[in-house]
Amino acid sequence: MEFVLEILTEEMPPGHVAEGLSQLEAGLASELKSNNLVNARGESGKIHTYGSCRRLIVHCELAARQQDREELVTGPPRGAAYTPEGEPTQAALGFARSRGVDAAALEVVRTDRGEYVAIRKVVEGKPAREILARILPGLISRLSFPKMMKWGERNFRFSRPIKNIFCLCDGKVLPFETAGIRSTGYTFGHPIFAPRRIKAGSFREYRDELRRNKVIIDQNARKSRIEKQMQKKLEPFGAACYPDEQLLKKLSMDVEYPYVILGTFPDSYLKLPLEVLSTAMKKGQNLFSVVKGRKQMPMFMGVADACDDSRSLVRKGNERVLKARLEDARFFWEQDIQVSLKKRAAELSRVIFQEKLGTYEDKSERLRKIAAYLAGRLEAREEKKWVMEAAGLCKVDLVTEMVREFPSLQGVAGGLYARKEGLPSSVWKAVYEHYQPVTLEDASPSSLTGAILSVSDKLDSVVGSLGLGVEVSGSRDPFGLRRNAQGACTVILQKKLSFSFPRLLDKVISVYEDKLSVPREDLKAVCLEFFRGRMQYIFERQGFRYDLVNAVLDPGLGNLYHAYLRVKALDGFKDSPHFEPMILIAKRVNNILKEQPAYKVNSDLLIEKEERELHTSFEIIRANVQPLIASGDFAKAQRIVFRIRSTTNSFFDNVLVMDKDVKLRRNRLALLQAVSRLLDQIADYSQIVVQG
Amino acid sequence: MNSVQDLIMYLNRYWAGQGCYLAPSYDLEVGAGTMTPDTFFRVLDQRPWRVGYVQPSRRPADGRYGENPNRVQKHHQYQVIMKPSPDNIQELYLKSLTGMGIDLREHDLRFDEDNWEAPTIGAWGVGWQVLLDGLEITQFTYFQQAGGIETFPVPVEITYGLERLEMFLEGKDDIYDLQWSADVTYRDLHLREEKEFSEYNFNQANVKGLQKSFAIQTREAQSLIDRDLLLPAYDACLKCSHLFNLLDSRGAISVTERVKMIAQIRDLVIQVARNYVAGEESS
Repeated sequence: MEFVLEILTEEMPPGHVAEGLSQLEAGLASELKSNNLVNARGESGKIHTYGSCRRLIVHCELAARQQDREELVTGPPRGAAYTPEGEPTQAALGFARSRGVDAAALEVVRTDRGEYVAIRKVVEGKPAREILARILPGLISRLSFPKMMKWGERNFRFSRPIKNIFCLCDGKVLPFETAGIRSTGYTFGHPIFAPRRIKAGSFREYRDELRRNKVIIDQNARKSRIEKQMQKKLEPFGAACYPDEQLLKKLSMDVEYPYVILGTFPDSYLKLPLEVLSTAMKKGQNLFSVVKGRKQMPMFMGVADACDDSRSLVRKGNERVLKARLEDARFFWEQDIQVSLKKRAAELSRVIFQEKLGTYEDKSERLRKIAAYLAGRLEAREEKKWVMEAAGLCKVDLVTEMVREFPSLQGVAGGLYARKEGLPSSVWKAVYEHYQPVTLEDASPSSLTGAILSVSDKLDSVVGSLGLGVEVSGSRDPFGLRRNAQGACTVILQKKLSFSFPRLLDKVISVYEDKLSVPREDLKAVCLEFFRGRMQYIFERQGFRYDLVNAVLDPGLGNLYHAYLRVKALDGFKDSPHFEPMILIAKRVNNILKEQPAYKVNSDLLIEKEERELHTSFEIIRANVQPLIASGDFAKAQRIVFRIRSTTNSFFDNVLVMDKDVKLRRNRLALLQAVSRLLDQIADYSQIVVQG
Repeated sequence: MNSVQDLIMYLNRYWAGQGCYLAPSYDLEVGAGTMTPDTFFRVLDQRPWRVGYVQPSRRPADGRYGENPNRVQKHHQYQVIMKPSPDNIQELYLKSLTGMGIDLREHDLRFDEDNWEAPTIGAWGVGWQVLLDGLEITQFTYFQQAGGIETFPVPVEITYGLERLEMFLEGKDDIYDLQWSADVTYRDLHLREEKEFSEYNFNQANVKGLQKSFAIQTREAQSLIDRDLLLPAYDACLKCSHLFNLLDSRGAISVTERVKMIAQIRDLVIQVARNYVAGEESS
């Protein structure tokens, strides 16, 4: 049996449509399951969802009714139901009568409380229509959107006002009511090209009728239609649309009948940097840039909700608006380059970074110190000077006209101005790239100076906020600290920046001087915990097993890039036959060391042969792996460390750790502690789950 | 529509036909039609309300000395409020456009998400900017809150940008080329005004005097609130708001001061709204 639901609304934002469809799909699936509306194999049919800014659509095949189900109704206990001769008693007869069956139909069942008489009853399944009519109002009113609204005099919240609910079940209207709106057997065509009522008795008819009335319901079909039209329009020029998947997705939701327009702008605007051109096109006007090879063309592409543009009114209108915007952008560009970034830097003293953390001038000063320190740790002698210069300039574009008009150009605009001023590429690139990566998918800065500045900037923000006691939890992250911390970690990992992270934290905390309210040591612990969470998230997203990630992160954050090499070493070894025995030994060592204070090994007290052997092999292995660990070759270090297995095993087999003699006992514990510390430099193997 | 005044007369007729009372423009400087009492007070209570009016809107920092073909420090809005929002409000709006002679089937009309917010009057709403071939011609908002109070029944606000719309209708690229009437151009009426006010807004306005006036008006607003003279108190708030905008365009407000001044105005407006609603409920 076929089921179709369409919620017709005023224009929803694209994110809301995606959200609404996925909730409808999940909600319906779970209702079908819990109401037993499934086929003979116990599955419900695949639910298809379609949508546009005006419609949320669900389509699926369903069982026409619930499956019948057997129910067991228990009556009196067996002892009370039958006489010793096996005849039913009054109690049993009464029970059977009350349920409308013959006493012969009674049977005895075993329950937790003993044996009882019972009857089996077949409960007839209800028709799907009846059940759907009951569940749909709640399903629709429970949909939630990032921002919700009320309208008219209804006490009901939704993404945007609902205009109509079309619902078909088995070819007929399924009547129900939600938000004071009664479901119907019709919908409406495109509000401008076909604003008429459309009746439909099946999904196919619904889809085809809408198609005739200028609505393509399938978002993927609209998307590929846009792509095809773009290709066709650009072919004669040998040009291509500069790919922007996000914009394409938004537009394929925003229109119900896409028509691609190709427009031009005067060549003279090509003097503006690419980034400025494409931002002016995209922001507010949703236009795509056109390129030929790596060259920007004086053209743009837009997606209209239209059948065609036979009089070119849409194209000309967009050209006119774009020209005015580009004219503004040129005005801003020319105004901004009148004053050098260096001169303009003084204005940063008027811009607050965060109320208690001072101005952007203060921040720039801190960034110079942090970046200089980090460049030093990375032995980037040449870059140090450049990155310090960039640190002083990177926030200056916040007071330019360009960034005031197009906030998304921050960083990029500063970089472009720095390049225009003729500053060295190590400087302008650092400014240009210092916000990267904005999301986990974004690329990290290409330059080392950019990477250093990016990490410095993000750490300054995270430490500053955590240092004021800002808490991040669940959906609450007002300053985007998670994004910043993840960005910093991503740059460190992708650019292979090898340094001690805790010491960088010390540096950042110290450049804040007395501005932070959380005590130094507490703050460091909070930061380490916070960054540990981010590292864990990144590693698990990269597909590393959670227990391997914990094994690497639990001994404490040190060198973040090394943490990545370590988890990789574990991952590379996880299928080796040597892995499991090593884990078991580590578990044994850690168990015995639990809650023991730290002791020191005294080699004079090593009296048994096996403990002397363990000590010797430990010293040799340690001497061998230390340089490997320092250079980051953890795969090799791990292979060598694993050789400690045999001596540890015979140690456990032949030596009593918990000796009565306190001195011997402590010495043996000390030896195991030394082994454990060595292992921890690669991983806490005892955390790893042995795969059964 | 061959002139701005044709457009105004058309919109007046159209929205009067929808039951709107045609209000005269408010006689104080405001940044948007939303701020006048005909919108602000009327969306707060529970009575039905329909109004349409032209409101000159001043944004001192948008001045460009008459040299930019699109930006001016004073433009004109046509403001419509319908409360409760009718179910067919989008159709009514589309009809208002086709009635101007725009054949929407030859254009691209889009309702693009834009959730309006006005922190100084504690107001926000959900809605769109309406784009016609990429040009923003209208702000369309379902008010959810005003003066910090939830608005119910929900009013819908439609704000047409008159100059933008008329430029579209006349096919002009320069605002100063618009006809206000058959004989008078926008240049005749507003070029000198834009030049002189830009000079005033950016360079000449007396900062000390404005700061003093701001302090006086905030005290005035508070004392009027205390005496339950809410309409005059609200006028004082509007004056504060404009003084703030002027100081801002003079570049005389630091970031911390900005936050503080906005909070000050907002606080007064919220008191006005609360007392107004409380009074309406008890009467």
